[in-house]
Amino acid sequence: MSGHGHESRVAQGPQRSREPSPFGLAARFDSVDTFLKACERVRDAGYRRWDAYAPYPVHGLNDAMGIRHTRLPLVVLGAGITGAGGALLLQWWMNAHNYPLIVSGKPFFSLPANIPIMFELTILLSALATFIGMLAFNNLPMLHHPVVNSPSFDRVTTDRFLIVIETRDLAFDESRTRALLEAASGAEIAWVED
Amino acid sequence: MSAREATQLAMEMAERRSPLITGGNDFATVTDKICSLVEKPHPPRAWFIAFGVSLAMTGVLFAMIGYLLLRGIGVWGLNSPVGWGFDITNFVFWVGIGHAGTLISAILFLFRQKWRTSINRFAESMTIFAVICAGMFPAIHVGRVWFIWFVFPLPNQNLVWPNFRSPLLWDVFAVGTYMTVSLLFWYMGMLPDLATLRDRAKTKARSFIYGALSLGWRGSNRQWHRYEVAYLLLAALATPLVLSVHSVVSFDFAASQVPGWHTTIFPPYFVAGAIFSGFAMVMTLIIPARQFFGLKDIITMRHLENMAKIILLTGSMVALAYATEIFIAWYGGNPIERFTFMNRALGPYAWAYSIMMTCNVLVPQIFWFRWARRNLWLMMIVSILVNVGMWFERFVIIVSSLSRDYLPAAWGYFKPTAIDLLTLAGSFGLFFTLFLLFIRYLPMVAMAEVRSVMPQAGLEHGGHRGQGDYHGDIPAQHEETGA
Amino acid sequence: MSQVRITGGTPAYWRSLAERADTPEFREMVRRRLGENVDWENLAPSTRRKFLQVMGASLALAGLAGCRWPRETIVPFARPAGYTPGVPQRYATSMELAGVASGLVVTSYDGRPIKVDGNPEHPQNRGGSDLLAQASILDLYDPARSRSPLSREIAGGAARNRTWEEFSDFARGRMTDFKSRGGESLYILSEATSSPSMAAMRARLQGAFPRAVIAEYESISRDNERTGAVLAFGRPMRAVYSLESADVIVSLDADFLGAHPASVAHARDFAAGRRNRDRVKANRLYAVESAYTITGGKADHRFTVPSRWIPVVAGRLAAEILGDDPGARAALAAYTSHPFMPRFIAAMARDLKCSRGRSIIVAGPRQPADVHALAHAMNAALGNVGTTVRYAAEEGPERPSHVEAIASLADAARAGKIDTLIILGGNPVFDAPADIEFARALAAVPASAHLSLHEDETSRACHWHLPRAHYLESWGDARAWDGTVGITQPLIEPLYGGKSPIEVLSILCDPSPMSGYDIVRRAMSSFAGADFEAFWRSSLNDGFVSGSAYPIETPTVRPLLHIPMRGAPPAFAANDLEIVFVPDSKVYDGRFAGNAWLQELPDPMTKVTWDNAALISPATAAALGVRADDVVALQYGGREVEIPVYVMPGVADRSVIVPLGYGRTAAGPIGNGVGASAQALRMSGAMGFDGGLTVRRVGRVHALSCTQNHHMIDLVGLRETQRRVGELVREVDSETYKRNPEAVRIRSEGEPAQLFPPHDYESDHRWGMAIDLDSCTGCGACMIACQAENNVPVVGREQVKRGREMHWLRIDRYFSGAPERPEVSHQPLACVQCENAPCEQVCPVGATAHSHEGLNEMVYNRCIGTRYCANNCPYKVRRFNWFNFHKRTVQIEKMMYNPDVTVRGRGVMEKCTFCVQRIEGAKIRARVEGGRPIADGEVVPACAQACPSRAIVFGDLNDPQSRVHALHVNARSYGLLEEINTRPRTQYLAKLRNPNHDPEVQG
Repeated sequence: MSGHGHESRVAQGPQRSREPSPFGLAARFDSVDTFLKACERVRDAGYRRWDAYAPYPVHGLNDAMGIRHTRLPLVVLGAGITGAGGALLLQWWMNAHNYPLIVSGKPFFSLPANIPIMFELTILLSALATFIGMLAFNNLPMLHHPVVNSPSFDRVTTDRFLIVIETRDLAFDESRTRALLEAASGAEIAWVED
Repeated sequence: MSAREATQLAMEMAERRSPLITGGNDFATVTDKICSLVEKPHPPRAWFIAFGVSLAMTGVLFAMIGYLLLRGIGVWGLNSPVGWGFDITNFVFWVGIGHAGTLISAILFLFRQKWRTSINRFAESMTIFAVICAGMFPAIHVGRVWFIWFVFPLPNQNLVWPNFRSPLLWDVFAVGTYMTVSLLFWYMGMLPDLATLRDRAKTKARSFIYGALSLGWRGSNRQWHRYEVAYLLLAALATPLVLSVHSVVSFDFAASQVPGWHTTIFPPYFVAGAIFSGFAMVMTLIIPARQFFGLKDIITMRHLENMAKIILLTGSMVALAYATEIFIAWYGGNPIERFTFMNRALGPYAWAYSIMMTCNVLVPQIFWFRWARRNLWLMMIVSILVNVGMWFERFVIIVSSLSRDYLPAAWGYFKPTAIDLLTLAGSFGLFFTLFLLFIRYLPMVAMAEVRSVMPQAGLEHGGHRGQGDYHGDIPAQHEETGA
Repeated sequence: MSQVRITGGTPAYWRSLAERADTPEFREMVRRRLGENVDWENLAPSTRRKFLQVMGASLALAGLAGCRWPRETIVPFARPAGYTPGVPQRYATSMELAGVASGLVVTSYDGRPIKVDGNPEHPQNRGGSDLLAQASILDLYDPARSRSPLSREIAGGAARNRTWEEFSDFARGRMTDFKSRGGESLYILSEATSSPSMAAMRARLQGAFPRAVIAEYESISRDNERTGAVLAFGRPMRAVYSLESADVIVSLDADFLGAHPASVAHARDFAAGRRNRDRVKANRLYAVESAYTITGGKADHRFTVPSRWIPVVAGRLAAEILGDDPGARAALAAYTSHPFMPRFIAAMARDLKCSRGRSIIVAGPRQPADVHALAHAMNAALGNVGTTVRYAAEEGPERPSHVEAIASLADAARAGKIDTLIILGGNPVFDAPADIEFARALAAVPASAHLSLHEDETSRACHWHLPRAHYLESWGDARAWDGTVGITQPLIEPLYGGKSPIEVLSILCDPSPMSGYDIVRRAMSSFAGADFEAFWRSSLNDGFVSGSAYPIETPTVRPLLHIPMRGAPPAFAANDLEIVFVPDSKVYDGRFAGNAWLQELPDPMTKVTWDNAALISPATAAALGVRADDVVALQYGGREVEIPVYVMPGVADRSVIVPLGYGRTAAGPIGNGVGASAQALRMSGAMGFDGGLTVRRVGRVHALSCTQNHHMIDLVGLRETQRRVGELVREVDSETYKRNPEAVRIRSEGEPAQLFPPHDYESDHRWGMAIDLDSCTGCGACMIACQAENNVPVVGREQVKRGREMHWLRIDRYFSGAPERPEVSHQPLACVQCENAPCEQVCPVGATAHSHEGLNEMVYNRCIGTRYCANNCPYKVRRFNWFNFHKRTVQIEKMMYNPDVTVRGRGVMEKCTFCVQRIEGAKIRARVEGGRPIADGEVVPACAQACPSRAIVFGDLNDPQSRVHALHVNARSYGLLEEINTRPRTQYLAKLRNPNHDPEVQG
């Protein structure tokens, strides 16, 4: 999504640019509760280009951040249907149409014999779609990201919580944003360099 | 009951039960404990010894396969009428082992069994390695390995396509899918932990390798929430898959007309057996592992006890299946079917049958007693015996049925050769080698998941993990970008 | 005639020559070829390199190779007009075994003979052939055959390669100084032969050397029959049976369906007699025997009696039949007063008397002359002579018996009376009676030469070894059992430069040796009419001289009182065991021990391969405390042989049956050290059987490799087998069947429901097979025929023991009935070509599927070898190539491969194809000949073609006129395992049982 962020930023033209600009402002939290509350405040303050970092999926954090459904399941559904249909077509074409063989006095095409492979291919394609879709929507693999390299990110994948509000958020204002984060009792508020 | 109720229940019980993570650990200590195994420069001596032995056995395996490819299938004890022996027995055995992994990671996940988090990585890895061992056997059991690719729907000089009516072909797709899905599930579950390792990395090399492996995972919640949807989807896909895989494997027999194979009970019977043997194998692996690597706080007695209960349950299911088979053979009134079961119990393979019955039906019953479910040595012995028993179950089904089917004049007897035995031993070598490498270089416990079930995780906020279902009012400029 | 039609169809086809013979171009061709000459002697291979040259040459020489003219006319691959390369040609010839010829037709591809079958025209074979003839093709190419004359300074010492010139120089040298002495101390020992050419050459030799001695020896001899006839008629007579018209047949220790020179004709006539529905009575066979023979297996009533008491049975039976004549009663008193008095005899006699003139009593060659004399007397008394039993005078009435001949020859040798001994064929050092100690006698002979295919035991004990030409390489002739003269014509130049016995004799007595061709032509001239060439051509073409059978005579039996009989055998102690020597069903007297096909063929009764064993009854085994596979020492006449035990139900208690012909020490890589030599216990006094045998357990175990492990099966399996046999091998009562066939309909009721509409095969051929279990004797000729036709590999003893024999066609043997009176059933089983074939649906790669003609086809180059099809085959007829079984096949043996059949590699599944190559061949011929329809009987699979009793019938089920169709709708027909709805294309016809309901027989 940050990818989209860059595009939108370019779209907004250079007049608001502060070169060289830091990536954003980061606030560290040590307890889940304060972290969650902070997120709600940031959400209600109407920020858009921000994110919350946690060492594990925190309950209710999506509500707190106001994240809506992802479209991943639709993609998977599509892949699943393709798998089933493709398998049926493959088996019909190969065994009943392109090179039919008289096998055990059975009909050239009969659905029951084709079901196992239809099922397996459904699962296979769905699973691949799930994994690849997840990566794609998350813009992974991404081997460089400013936040990851910032000192504030230290131990976030272990036991710390972090909120980073990007400077290019329309609502970003250094003093107000910093104030908001302090008010949300965020410790160690620091810039994340780009 | 709904997933929500299930969770509630699970949580309430969690209060009453001994905690999932003991020893007053917090996120940091848990993370340290688990990562230290990977990060410490020198693993315990036990690891080296085990690895050396396994590696040697793997060498034996490849030597045996080489000899097989050089001479032909005749180096095994097979004959007419017994066309399948150790090869397919080992295949079914190893596929079965794999199932516990998927069960723990997928099915228990869907049922929100939080205790799974400490052992699911372990189990998933076991699945991967077991399926690798399993997949090897159908591949080398064919007479002309160099034409094995005929089983794939690829254009070829014969202009013939595979025969999609053959259960063996269903196997190819089922096991192939199973391998892929398990791999994805395993790897995706490991992304956050790989990221942790990356961030804790002291050396450039480590940070680069783990950085590459973690694909740049940041643990940002916008990633987490899609990750969780994906994880749920994979779990939801893997659950019917794992049931289907062993069903399809059982079709190899059920869809044939060999007396003793041609049975409708096989799919559920095989699945139960698979989970049974799989859990036994997890136990066999995890008990020494938690001793050696000091994971007693993370893999607690409660985890082991739960596994023991599942072994007892699935073991009893298997016993029921055996009984049903025998009953139907008698009740069905097909004299040839009747003889097949008479012959299993009293014929030339009675010895194998009694081993199977003892290990699979009698031995697990000891887990009715709590003390037994808490005695490590006992659990170790039982789990190993169950594995032996389950291997013999497949052996009995395959070999005893084939050796005496319709025409007495064509009856025979299968005697394994040294090659057969060494290949079986070798497959264990391969399995343990892979497993020891995993323990050494990858996080063997799903840290992120363990954190999420620790008291510090803020469970009291209730509700199951947000799936991004925010219905509150969001200011105008606010909409999700990205997805 | 249908048999004839199938054997060719191209202009080059063996019959058609007769049609072409008188055309001018044919005459021209023959003339063109005369005068051509090739220096053959230089091709005698001594080194491997040379040998390969010969191979090349003999290929290039397919002209002769596939050709019957004298070798002088051979031209490098200049083909006769109308000869198409790659199209098989068929030639008639005949093979002599122990003095009796069988008429054969040999298929030859581009000059390489690849298949031997019975000559449809031949009065004895009538298209059938036995397994020895079928397997003889393998001996032709046997790389272990000796490749040049050898000589030894001292007998038994090291051998030197020699050439035929060197031998003829040596021989001529000898012969010149014999001339002066009139052949004094020149001895010729030859195996039994009925060859007119041989007789002529012997006469020539005798003429040149009046005092030379010519002796004849066969270890498996029918001399008892001869002497028996002499007792009865005053001169040796040969009985020719017409079993077809016999209602009651009694066999006294006689295996006339298995081990008789005319067994092929017998099997066919016997089966025909049973099948024949016009006859008022079904025929009934009583077998009284100690060993369980093929004949015993076909008997309606079989009585196990030790061989030494069978004379008593004969005597008592004779008393019943000839009882009215007081003289006879007096003569038979010794028998009638004998303690051994089985109850069945009276009933048997009654049955015989009820069918005067329509019964036969056959006595076995093992039995003493008395029994044969009695049999002749009884046949005469029952008025069978001239109807079911015909007599012809034997050849050489004055010759001594074989045993006497070899004994006196040995004495002469020991006495230093022999200066030069020429042994033509045979292997006396191995198979002469042990007490004669022939080897030692031979050592006393200053100069000895031995002619044989292999450098065998005798060759090594002689100063000269001469490579013999195989019958497919040489000219010759011999008479069949009924006397019909068969001509042996070469299909290929001698591969190893061998010579035939007549040629060797010619070297001895002719200053300029004649070629076999000339000798045979000369000998045949006595049978010819005015136009010799015409006679010669037609005889060559037919393979035999028509109308040359022995004249039938009706001799009168002397009154019994005047017959000097030894009388009844003495009673013996209860624990006294008897040893019975039987010719082996496969290696005969050992001469075929080097033949891998025969070694690997399971014995019809025991199913043992690559071994012989002492066969004893379960009771005797229990009494001796031995189990199957235990090695025991047989002690008899001060000699001892160690041999494994096979517990055989149906063997007479206290009889120990030992097949001859094993334990060879110089039989080449295949035959060496296989089995134990019963010869070592065989004394000139008791060549058949004798008491006074003692059996000692050695304590060692030798696992026999059987293709059916019934003897070591557990109780669970045994009970189940007994339960199933009745369904697998069905039987019907033959009386009922004759009265009203429909009354015996045994097919399971109704068609099993079809899950899918069955595939429609109506539009095309629908190939099917019918196997009449009543006709099948289980002899195994079909198995060898299949092996030869389909390039089926030999896997060896160890692999058979593992259960990996490759025979596409196997013969299942089941015992049924009470253990003390076991009945045996044989069931030939190849792929039954199920319409709902279980093997097909499970193949992941579609390597096996149905053709539109309903054949279950195997696509070798598609097969990856999962073995799933074999697992799912309820008949277990699929065979897997566990290793590359053709790896050890040497170049020369590859010449024998049938080019129409793929040689399967390692890792591939294979099975019976109904000889699809023959089906396609017939279709092609029909298409070539203007798309004519394929006639019924035009396509005949190898097994059906070989079967002596015509038990196997093949054809198109869509043709309502076809024989196979008729058999499929026959009331006796049923499908094996039809209840599992495989819809097999092979149907079986139930056995007919014709029991005598007389309680005395039943008891």
